[in-house]
Amino acid sequence: MTDAVQSAFDQTNFGTADWVIVIVYLLISLGIGIMVKRYAGSMVNYIGAGRKIGPWLGVATMTGTELGLVTVMYSAQKGFTGGFAAFHIALIAGVATLFVGLTGFIVGPLRRMRVLTIPEFYEKRFNRKIRILGGFLLVFAGVLNMGLFLKVGSMFIVGVTGMASDGEALKWVMVGLLLLVLIYTTLGGMISVILTDYVQFVVLSFGLLAGTWIAISKLGWGTIFQTVHDTLGPAGFDPTVSDGSFGWEYVCWMVITAGLIGSAVWPTAVSRALTMESEAAVKKQYCWSSISFTVRFLFPYFWGICALVFITSMPAGADLKELFFSVEEGVEPLSNLYAMPVFMGRLLPPILIGVITAGMIAAFMSTHDSYFLTWSSVITQDIVAPLWKRELSTKARVKITRICIVLMGGYVLYWSVFYKGREDIWDYMAVTGGIYFTGAFVVLMLGVYWKRTSSFGALLGLLSGLLMLLGLEPIQKAVGLKVLNGAGEWREILTSPQIGLITVSIALVLTIAGSLLKPDTRKEAE
Amino acid sequence: MSWELLWKVVLIAVVGAFSLMAILVTILGARDIKKLLRKLRDEEDED
Repeated sequence: MTDAVQSAFDQTNFGTADWVIVIVYLLISLGIGIMVKRYAGSMVNYIGAGRKIGPWLGVATMTGTELGLVTVMYSAQKGFTGGFAAFHIALIAGVATLFVGLTGFIVGPLRRMRVLTIPEFYEKRFNRKIRILGGFLLVFAGVLNMGLFLKVGSMFIVGVTGMASDGEALKWVMVGLLLLVLIYTTLGGMISVILTDYVQFVVLSFGLLAGTWIAISKLGWGTIFQTVHDTLGPAGFDPTVSDGSFGWEYVCWMVITAGLIGSAVWPTAVSRALTMESEAAVKKQYCWSSISFTVRFLFPYFWGICALVFITSMPAGADLKELFFSVEEGVEPLSNLYAMPVFMGRLLPPILIGVITAGMIAAFMSTHDSYFLTWSSVITQDIVAPLWKRELSTKARVKITRICIVLMGGYVLYWSVFYKGREDIWDYMAVTGGIYFTGAFVVLMLGVYWKRTSSFGALLGLLSGLLMLLGLEPIQKAVGLKVLNGAGEWREILTSPQIGLITVSIALVLTIAGSLLKPDTRKEAE
Repeated sequence: MSWELLWKVVLIAVVGAFSLMAILVTILGARDIKKLLRKLRDEEDED
């Protein structure tokens, strides 16, 4: 790290009082996990909070889960590079969630069937083999998907606290946070996750509103829009401009991913719906959560935009301009993932920055605990239990789930702290998530709403999600989907949104064709 | 309506809606937590 970067990071307002706020917050989270441990005896309580969650607490936990630090970081990056045009993703997410809330699309029937996981639906609707395959694909994609969360979370903490100089200290903080998540998730299961989600909601929602207000008042409402106009031109506002950051294909891909899949298919969101006390509560939860599904993208986009304005047009951010937009030969620009946290570190006053950082770390932990619990419960319920020759007791299931959580913690720590991967993590995440959701979206939708969907059709639909692997850069290069042009630059034959749309289309065609060609026999259907 | 105006309206509307939601969820979510813990305690007593 250069002196200039170190000096830039050191100018944060984060101080001792802010550390106290963060530590107190973390201790409260740990206390909650210990407090509710005695209720986590049964599997329904452990992974489904006994299906006793009221609608308002449901909204809080849905927001707490989906407003993760990784989302905040990548969304801020999108706002930084794409300007207000990125807002279309937030709008799509909100409208799609409202649609799910009003119609109960997919989640309503799932809740009615009283399943605890999506693969459990596969068994009720198709057969046990589909459940195991669906569970395996879900875990494979999901665990790969969360592999770099810790790394991205660490980038936020580095940026906002100015800890950049001491890389070793940062690693230990990450280890500490991970241990904390593991302790309260393994102890209290979904009940402790939901209670901490509520605390996170309260802290973060007021922090987000205060941070946004301060950003507007310090930078100026008119200046923000004018600077985006000057820096990015019409592409900074219009998402359909093809030479900008997005374009029509991207918008269509977002309707499926950020819209329908994000709200009705992504397991961490669905698992919250399945903990609700009734189907009516699920619908109410989704209708209100449409606001938070918009907010989880829109506020970080706006903060990213404000970071761009601060860096490009404010005297106080002049030193950062050289770092993020370096034109000096041989000097790599600083990753723009750091732009938002560094900006927030300079903008927010002490105490408030501590509260927001506590909220963000809570968001980081909340995403981890939800992912740990969701993937480990799928391993237990949908892979291990169906493959086990004898009936697994509740005690054994809870134990296996806890062991899986700890093993995943080890994997995440290894992957995020010791693995030195490429920086372009967003593509990696979209592709790994797509391995699961492209096929699952089609199979769930048709399985719920089309009676003729057969086990063979579901098998083909789920397997077609593997085509998303073609979106991974090394595979793209290997199969010729990414080629070197005359100027020595890599050019994509198919972009990730195009591969995603093609995969969903293939999954749809194969599921329908497979169901028509090989319908379930009466015995299978029963 | 221009894109710029659309995003201004969206931003203001979302900030307003989220402010209201934050207050409601904070108050009514606390009530839901009380109900949840009571149900879990009752269940524990029955066992």
